[in-house]
Amino acid sequence: MLLIVAMFCGLAIGPTPISLSSIVSSLLSHCGIGHNALSPLDQTILWQIRAPRMVLGLLVGAMLAVAGGTYQGVFRNPLADPYLLGVAAGAGLGATIALVHDGGVVNPPAWTPLLAFIGAMTAVALTWVIGGRGAYATPATLILAGVAVAALLTSAQTFLQQQASAQSIARVYIWLLGSLATSSWSSVWGVLPYVVVCAGVCVGAGRALDVMSVGEDEARALGLPVRRVRAIVILASSLGTAAVVSVVGLIGFVGIIVPHIVRLVVGTSYRRILPLSVLVGASFVVFTDTIARTVLAPSELPLGVVTAIIGAPVFVVILSLRRGVTQ
Amino acid sequence: MSVIVEHLGLRLGKKTVIDDVSIDVASGTWCTIVGPNGAGKTSLLAAIAGLRRPHIGSVQIDGVAIESLNERARAQRVAFVPQSPVVPAGMNVADYIMLGRQSSHGLLRAPATFDRQIVEGVIERLDLIDLRTRDVATLSGGERQRVVLARALAQGTRTILLDEPTTGLDVRHQMDILELLRKEVDECELTVVATLHDLTQAGLFADHMVLLRDGQVRAAGAPADVVRSSALSESYGTTLHVVEVDGRDVVIAGRPVGADK
Repeated sequence: MLLIVAMFCGLAIGPTPISLSSIVSSLLSHCGIGHNALSPLDQTILWQIRAPRMVLGLLVGAMLAVAGGTYQGVFRNPLADPYLLGVAAGAGLGATIALVHDGGVVNPPAWTPLLAFIGAMTAVALTWVIGGRGAYATPATLILAGVAVAALLTSAQTFLQQQASAQSIARVYIWLLGSLATSSWSSVWGVLPYVVVCAGVCVGAGRALDVMSVGEDEARALGLPVRRVRAIVILASSLGTAAVVSVVGLIGFVGIIVPHIVRLVVGTSYRRILPLSVLVGASFVVFTDTIARTVLAPSELPLGVVTAIIGAPVFVVILSLRRGVTQ
Repeated sequence: MSVIVEHLGLRLGKKTVIDDVSIDVASGTWCTIVGPNGAGKTSLLAAIAGLRRPHIGSVQIDGVAIESLNERARAQRVAFVPQSPVVPAGMNVADYIMLGRQSSHGLLRAPATFDRQIVEGVIERLDLIDLRTRDVATLSGGERQRVVLARALAQGTRTILLDEPTTGLDVRHQMDILELLRKEVDECELTVVATLHDLTQAGLFADHMVLLRDGQVRAAGAPADVVRSSALSESYGTTLHVVEVDGRDVVIAGRPVGADK
C-alpha cells in the first residue's frame, strides 16, 4: 500500500502537476488499453524524467535498507549500516578521482559511476583481506578493518578534493550528499540486476540470520555453515550497495534507520525484517526524494539531508510509542 | 561405541590445551568430565562437537569421523549446549527451540509439520507448555537452562554435549536439569558427555567419569573409583574426602594442601 502511494506521489508531484487519473490512463494506453489523455510534453516529463527517477529511488531505497538490515544481522550490531565495511569511502574516493580529473566540463564524466563502483568494491575487498580471513577472523576484526580502510580512503579522498579546483570541489560535495537528479532509464537498467540479485540473496538469508542471533559457535553447532553464510551475505549486501551508491552517491540514514523502524514494528526476526525493509526502504526514498525536489523548487535539497530530517523524527516517535507498549 | 576420542590434541594459539586424550563413551550412557578450572574441559567438548579443529587425533561419533562432516551433517549427529548460551533478543521460546531443527529442514526451507511435532514433543516432555510464548530473554536461569536443553533435544541427535549445564542454578534446579537428562539417557538411549564442577553430582548421575588436568586424562572409570582416586585430590590441589550418605558418595573438600596448620 505504502509503496503504491509513494510511487504515485513520485510520479504526480513536481513543477508540472500531472493528475493521478491521467497517469493511470497513460499507463494503460502503454499497455494498449484506452486513450492517452496526456500532452506529448507531459508524457515526456512523466516517462522520461519522473518515472526513471521514481524507479531508481525504489531500487536505491530497497537495496540500502535491506543491506543495512542484513549487516545488522550478520554483525549482530544495531549500529551497522551498509557503509560499515568501507563501501562509502571507497565509492567516494573513486567518484572524486573521476570528478577531479576532467578539467572543467560542467557535466560530471560518464565514468564516475564506474570508478565509484570499483572504489567501493576495492574497499570491501581490502577490508575482507585485512579482517575477514584466517583463524582469528571474527565480525569484530572485520568491523575494525572496515573502520581502518574507511579512514584511509576518506583521507585520500579529502586530499584529492583539497587539490582540486573550486568547481570540482562543489561537484564532489554534491555527489557525496547523494541525489537522484541524474536518473535515466539507462541508470535504472544498470542498477536493476544488482539490486534484484543482491536484495534477493539478502532476503533469502533471513532464516540464516535468525540462527546466527545465538552467536557463531552455537549457530555452527546447530548446523549453520557460519563462515560461508557470512561471506555470501556480506558480498551480496556490499555489491548491491556499491551498485546503487555508484549511481546516486552517498545517501545516508536509509540503511540504518529503515531496518530499525521495521524491527520496532514487526519484532526481531530477520525473516520479517528483511522483506519489509525492501518495501519500506523503497517507499521511504521515493517519498523523501519527492520532498527533496519540491520543497525548494526549482533547486533541490540533497536527498541525504531529507532522509535524515524525516527519518529521525519518525524513528523517535515509533521508539517512544513502542516503549509505551512494552512497559 | 558412540563417542570415541582417540589421541586428541588441540592447540589454542601456541598453548596446548588438550594433550593426547582418549575417551570411549558407550551409546546410551552418561560420561562426566571433571577437573579443575583451565583443565581443558570446555575445549575438549568443543573439539568433540567439531567446533575446534584438533591438530592431531580424531573424534568419531557413531562410527563417523566428525572432521569429515560439514556443519549440517554434524548437527544431525551431535548437539552442543555451551556453558553460557547467547540469549537472542525478542525471540519466543517455541521459535528458539525450533532453531534446533535447523539442521533438519535446512536454510531455505521452512520447518515442516514433522519439525513442529518434534518441537511440541520436546516442549511437553520438558514441561515448557506455559513458557512457549514467553520471550527467551525474560526467563529465569532455571527456565532458560531447560529451554536451551529443549533446543538441544529438538535437534534429535543421539549424542548431546553439555558444558556445565548447572551453572548459575540453585540446588533444586541443578538436580532438576540433571534428572531430566538422566531420564533421556535411560528412556531414549541418549548418549551424554557433560562437564560438571560438583563432584557429588558428577558421581551421582554419570556412568563413567573422566578426570582431566592440564589437558590430560589423569583418571577414568566408574565414578565411585575416580572420586576415591588419589589423582583427584592431586589434580585439584586440595584434600577431598568421600563419605557415604544413603549409599551415595558425597565428596567434601578439605582445606587446600598446606593451608591447614
